[in-house]
Amino acid sequence: MANVSDYSGFWVFAEQINGKIADVGRELLGKARELADSKGVEAAAVVVGDLTEDEVKELISYGADKVYLLSHPNLKLYSSLTYTRLLEDLVNKEKPEAFLFGAGPLGADLAPRVAARLNTGLSAHCVDLKLNEEGGLDQVVPGFGGSLMATIVCPNHRPQMATVMPGAMKMPEPKEREGEVVRVDVGEVPSPSPEIVEFKPKERSAVALDGADVVIAGGWGIGSEENWKLLEELAEVLGGAVGATRPAIDEGWAPEDVMIGQSGKTVHPKLYIGAGISGVMHHVVGIQDSEVIVAINKDPKAQIFEVCDFGIVGDATKVLPVLISKLKEKLGE
Amino acid sequence: MPQAVVCVKPIPDPKEWDRLSLDPETGVLKRAGISTVINPLDKNALEAALQLKDRFGWTVTVVSMAPPDTQKTLREALAMGADKVLMASDRALGGAATLATAYTLAALVRKAGDADMVFCGNMSLDGSTNQVVPQLAEFLGLPHASHVVGVETEDGSTFRVTVDLKDALLTLQHSGPMVLGLTKEANDPRLVSVMGIISAQSKPLEVFSAQDLDLDPEKIGQKGSPTIVSGLFMPEIKRRREILSGEPEEVVDRLIDGLREMGVL
Ligand SMILES: Cc1cc2nc3c(=O)[nH]c(=O)nc-3n(C[C@H](O)[C@H](O)[C@H](O)COP(=O)(O)OP(=O)(O)OC[C@H]3O[C@@H](n4cnc5c(N)ncnc54)[C@H](O)[C@@H]3O)c2cc1C
Repeated sequence: MANVSDYSGFWVFAEQINGKIADVGRELLGKARELADSKGVEAAAVVVGDLTEDEVKELISYGADKVYLLSHPNLKLYSSLTYTRLLEDLVNKEKPEAFLFGAGPLGADLAPRVAARLNTGLSAHCVDLKLNEEGGLDQVVPGFGGSLMATIVCPNHRPQMATVMPGAMKMPEPKEREGEVVRVDVGEVPSPSPEIVEFKPKERSAVALDGADVVIAGGWGIGSEENWKLLEELAEVLGGAVGATRPAIDEGWAPEDVMIGQSGKTVHPKLYIGAGISGVMHHVVGIQDSEVIVAINKDPKAQIFEVCDFGIVGDATKVLPVLISKLKEKLGE
Repeated sequence: MPQAVVCVKPIPDPKEWDRLSLDPETGVLKRAGISTVINPLDKNALEAALQLKDRFGWTVTVVSMAPPDTQKTLREALAMGADKVLMASDRALGGAATLATAYTLAALVRKAGDADMVFCGNMSLDGSTNQVVPQLAEFLGLPHASHVVGVETEDGSTFRVTVDLKDALLTLQHSGPMVLGLTKEANDPRLVSVMGIISAQSKPLEVFSAQDLDLDPEKIGQKGSPTIVSGLFMPEIKRRREILSGEPEEVVDRLIDGLREMGVL
């Protein structure tokens, strides 16, 4: 057990893949900044990779007072054992009270090992973080696919660690702020073990679903690849991005990385329109933060109607063309 | 013979999760009457191990930390082809967060003897924490990889493991034991055959207490869990729920007006 009062400040692990810092790190910094301000302590980002000061100092504008930079050519590619050792050393030296990670494949792979090494608690896939009366972190996580929510606390161990789904926290507006990049001496860094024999970046889809103001989502009820184009057209009219449910992706109508829900992305647009989607919790957990939810489903008893603001009972392939043409007309006014 | 150890977790059947509820008085989760199944991704883990058994004659040992009444579910792993089950079942293990779970599973893996590879499902669907794989590896002092979409070997001793990092695919090569977390892309788990069910009845299933495993009482169950659940609640749904039906022309007009009222158009 740690002496809780020795630990101070909110840290974010800003993960990079291929030299690019992932958005989830910036999103988390917004939250860390807010938490740090309400306690009057520091917020910091930690970057491990092969990067220069210049490439990481933008994180200051997202809320970091300090950016700890652990840079070495052998850190370019992710290696859980090496990254764990470096974070262990840094945490033991600087003693942050909380350490937040993105819940993407890298953060979700690394954070648990670091937590076990430090013998501390880690909550998974948080959708909300807030301070409780004791000044500790209340970590809200979904269980059972979101049919249930739990508040997790870590009273006697530090740092309090959490992974947070990409998109679950709002991206802060970058601001002109004071801050410093602290280059951490990493010493000798062995090449990754197990050996990395291949690294293949994937093509990314054009639309950034996580940050979109309008999300048009389609489900199995859309029925065909041909009909799917209606969603893309509607998204274009409204300047939004297209997302999908599991079955629609399984049909090949949309790529894997636009899945919304428990095993995919969390979105928080101003407007979400879901068509041909039944509204199972696995999907709904990823759309709950939307300001307005519109559902189009031909089954009046579809579950999604229970969580929507506007529900249209009808055939999506008939409603969507009308919606598209009317919007074109009215938005053109 | 080399040995693959597979971690299997019995979970409440995801098909019946809509029947989960909270006791309004105590806030305790009511899961009575919901049937238990093998966590689906654990079947991918089992399949990967069984392929090593088929190709190279490995022994496949299943380990599980679970209540005693889940033995029937674990027998399904034997019916699929596993050779034996080692199970940790003890009241003292209840309330374990992932750290205590991983600690307990590590003891079971050691009990199984030398593991040449440890396979797990990448996550369990009920908790979906993704945490046990890296933490189990940490307790065993082994390297790990999660989000594994492919495991290949030509000789049963050097393995190529492909990991999906969402923005990239990473392939690791390693000789020697690792802890791997498999996703459903990794393989197609075999179905249980009638012969499998019959032979499962006579395969060993050993149950251990915390004491049998020499577990440190400070590291197991609720005591060994740095995190605690301070509250459970059903997600709140506060929505307008204006349901429109009729001709597309009319409902779309009403929708557009409504969206303007709410200031999102
Ligand atoms: C552990 C776990 C995790 C999961 N994670 C996710 C996740 O992250 N994201 C996800 O999406 N799913 C996830 N799933 C799958 C999830 O359980 C559901 O199967 C899925 O969300 C249902 O997708 P759907 O609504 O498109 O399909 P369906 O449930 O088949 O619903 C189709 C709907 O379309 C309607 N429909 C049919 N034709 C029309 C038409 N012409 N016009 C209008 N409506 C029509 C039907 O009435 C029906 O309501 C997960 C499942 C599990 C077990």
